[in-house]
Amino acid sequence: MKPFDYHSPRSLPEACLLLAELGAEAKILAGGTDVLVEMRKPGSYSSKAVVDITRISSLKGIGESGDAILIGPLTTHAEIFHSRIVEQYAPLLKAAVAGIGSPQIRNRGTVGGNLMNAAACADTVPPLLALNATIKLLSSKGERSIALSDFFIKPYATVAQRDEILVEIRFPKLPANARSSFVKLGRRNALSIARLSVAAILVKSDAGVITDARIVTGAAFPKWQRVLEAEKVLIGQKPSRELFDAAGKKVSEALISFTGRRWSTEYKEPVIAVLVRRSLEACQ
Amino acid sequence: MKNVLIKTTINGKQVELDVRPNMTLLDFLRDEMGLTGTKRGCEVGECGACTVLLNGQAVNSCLILVPQIDGQEILTVEGLAQGEKLHPLQESFLDHDAVHCGFCTPGMLISAKALLDHTPDPSEEETRVAISGNLCRCSGYQQIVDAIRETKHVGES
Repeated sequence: MKPFDYHSPRSLPEACLLLAELGAEAKILAGGTDVLVEMRKPGSYSSKAVVDITRISSLKGIGESGDAILIGPLTTHAEIFHSRIVEQYAPLLKAAVAGIGSPQIRNRGTVGGNLMNAAACADTVPPLLALNATIKLLSSKGERSIALSDFFIKPYATVAQRDEILVEIRFPKLPANARSSFVKLGRRNALSIARLSVAAILVKSDAGVITDARIVTGAAFPKWQRVLEAEKVLIGQKPSRELFDAAGKKVSEALISFTGRRWSTEYKEPVIAVLVRRSLEACQ
Repeated sequence: MKNVLIKTTINGKQVELDVRPNMTLLDFLRDEMGLTGTKRGCEVGECGACTVLLNGQAVNSCLILVPQIDGQEILTVEGLAQGEKLHPLQESFLDHDAVHCGFCTPGMLISAKALLDHTPDPSEEETRVAISGNLCRCSGYQQIVDAIRETKHVGES
């Protein structure tokens, strides 16, 4: 690893000040499961300073505030997995973190790092988008709150500035009658990078009619987003295999309209449709 | 680049050292502390050969900067045995012929310890999940799973 100065601020004001001083020379370190791999790649950019934010305890933990769930960005995937709050109000997020990396990776990797790294295959992104999450970014210049759906530009690029720290992830609790799921295709059980993934949420009325539907795919579109065309197919209908197939087909069509036909389309077109159907069936 | 002073506990011993920050915990353990039981494999967190316990949790030591262990507790494979007396997990690995070439063994033992510390009587599924971040290229997984599940008298360190 190339030489760098190491800083471990104990508070957010201290961290913001450091990042303002260091400017483009600094790299923020959280769980390290992506950053430390990147930093050792031959020819990787060198940061003159590493700002290790893992000692800032206010960035850890999961809490409730009225109808919202708040997750500190330094919360590890293992902590999310074991959280009763997440299990009760956002089970699809629990399902997503269960399959990230390995036990070792889940013990270190953080949800904030997963968002800020912004890999196309980031497993926490589809569920958090389906949950309509918003995030808070903080720098010495101030704080701003943005919808997660406005955060990503493309894989590995976000609207966050270099001196901004992700300080909060917040989303509304799912209602008690909501059902949700996360399904993922990978090449190996552990440590697999998602080839395709789907997060889904369905809410039904007492009469069994779908009143809210949210579908987000991972590793499929050049930019993450809810697939509104497919969600519309579901609203006002009663669940059936044919309906879920129709929603899957809409997602396939939307995917192709974005990416055009490429070498992987022959595979992704039918497979994403089936994954969507399975994820919706898992919401029953 | 400035060195960083760290105070840490490694296998029960307190250590105070001035370290280069651009060193991973893995390199520190092997090259500075001489604890070569922790193996250097893929160095990207995929193989688990470098697994150690950090405050009781299994982690890849190749993905941690050494200044990050300041104030923390580390356990490596060298810390399992009490003097000449092997840890029950080590005895069980021997009894089950769960060691082939041996390169994955330190990481497997540490992941297994993390499991048994919280789940003394794990199911086959729980055991397989616990070692899912550890690759064995000799493919001796069945013996390893059996060895972990049939380990006796675990509970003490």
